[in-house]
Amino acid sequence: MFPIKGEERIQRPVPQDPITRPGSDDGPKAPNVKRPDPSDLLKRMRRVDPDQAKRYRQRSGE
Amino acid sequence: MKNRQSECIGSRLFGIETEYGILVEGRGAADLMEESRLLVQAYPGPWAGPWDYQAENPRRDMRGYTVDHLNYDREDARYDREGPGSHLSSQEQRADHALVNGARLYNDHGHPEYATPECRTLRQIVAHDRAGERIVHECARLRMEATGREVRIFKNNSDLHGMSYGCHEGYLVARTVPFESLLYGMLPFLVTRILYAGAGKTGVETDGPLREECQFQLSQRADFFEEIASVDTLARRPLFNTRDEAHADSRHYRRLHVICGDANLSQFATALKVGTTSLVLSLIESGWEPLFRLRDPVTAIKKLSRDPSFRWVLELEDGRTMRATDLQRIYLRDAQKLLAGADADTDWVLREWERVLNDLEQDYTLTEDRLDWVAKRRLLETFIESEGIWWEDPTLRSLDLEYHNVDPVEGLYYALEEAGQMVQVAGEEEIAAALTEPPANTRAALRGDLIRRFTPDITRVSWGRVALKEDARARWVPLPAEFGADPALTLSGQLQSAKTVAEAIAVLTGDSGDEDVPDQG
Repeated sequence: MFPIKGEERIQRPVPQDPITRPGSDDGPKAPNVKRPDPSDLLKRMRRVDPDQAKRYRQRSGE
Repeated sequence: MKNRQSECIGSRLFGIETEYGILVEGRGAADLMEESRLLVQAYPGPWAGPWDYQAENPRRDMRGYTVDHLNYDREDARYDREGPGSHLSSQEQRADHALVNGARLYNDHGHPEYATPECRTLRQIVAHDRAGERIVHECARLRMEATGREVRIFKNNSDLHGMSYGCHEGYLVARTVPFESLLYGMLPFLVTRILYAGAGKTGVETDGPLREECQFQLSQRADFFEEIASVDTLARRPLFNTRDEAHADSRHYRRLHVICGDANLSQFATALKVGTTSLVLSLIESGWEPLFRLRDPVTAIKKLSRDPSFRWVLELEDGRTMRATDLQRIYLRDAQKLLAGADADTDWVLREWERVLNDLEQDYTLTEDRLDWVAKRRLLETFIESEGIWWEDPTLRSLDLEYHNVDPVEGLYYALEEAGQMVQVAGEEEIAAALTEPPANTRAALRGDLIRRFTPDITRVSWGRVALKEDARARWVPLPAEFGADPALTLSGQLQSAKTVAEAIAVLTGDSGDEDVPDQG
């Protein structure tokens, strides 16, 4: 059966250590992703009204 | 052996409701109830309404009681008393539109909200979520044409000044699952899934002891949670919402209403968020329980979201510490053991879930083609480097906001997508189809077909039923949640062959219709 019985849950060992891989203890390493030419993106970002966020006020929603 | 069909993603109904932010030239927050209503009313396609609120009760709690009232933001309450639309009825203010694609578009507390139709596959939910962006953007464009005022729509969850609005997910869950199993099974998962489901945000919006320096955090919403579990959504928001509204036969189902997620632009993040959540629910439905609890989940999500070290270490109730990625791996490991091979979506989620966790641990920037918070952070870093500014520069807040602009010509997320830098899940044809076509294998197909062919005869509509008028009488027809789960059911084909309202009622009820529909007070 698919469900795990309560007894099995109780007996299943609690991991004492996180499931980690060697060398992964210090968090992510320095970025090493090759990035495309950002010039078009930069042009678009420079067009954004720098005061837009100051004017942006919303009602509280759910 | 249990039937594998019941364990796969495709056996579950799910959907996403997104409240959009709205910026209208010359108008302030007090005007947004009216602006949002008028935007919804600009929807150009066929629709039906009003919505059937008699089938809903947001004050009913999963723990078996109904609260007297829901908490409400005081400032918003004042807007509602004194604002431009205060003379309108609740029905008029909400302006509910049920669309031919099975979705719902309405004004929710001053935000245009788009709720996708019920879906069963990840490609469906991604296509319909994206269709919602296009529909709300088109409504904004029509409002601009009509008024001459600029209208901008943002798919995010914060105005960056302390006001938050939601992107909720709904998952149909077996009623037999005890409340405590759902709560304690889901909490650690929901807190830590912001690792890949967070949409990213500049700065911190709430005060308190955790308000340390934070230039950028993973989640839009983490700042706004104050409780572990409650029925509220508008104030004192909980991580786990206990609202008990199944939108289906409540003898058999609950609907898990997930309110702690961010609105994603990334198709991949949307698919992974919904897919992993559905698999964890399958684990819990099978009787699985986690052997750990977080010491303080409300604090944990904030610490995780703001952690500048990216090590993401959390405290457990028993005093141990664990990295959030490792906590996610416990869910992943057991899902792999118990659910692998159930269906194609399940296997996609298991594979991509592991790959994302591996990448986040090795170098989070490896995920910039898939995850919103990483893509946004990298965009902002590029700008900082290019312009020689600091994280404190207020321009970055405007760029943060612009990432979420759903105008394809202006929005920065769309610029990344246009440049081929973001992984796609749904194709253009699927998204275009989702504008007008419901998922064929869910009850949304029945709703959509009724709206497409019998709009003048519909007197009310909701997720679980539609009121159809035949002669002088209006009668309920049910939209069963099970529709589409079994391919042998051919109700949709029969409905399409119905030429009249009477025939449609007969197909959907097996006779002449359920009880008469009383007037909606």
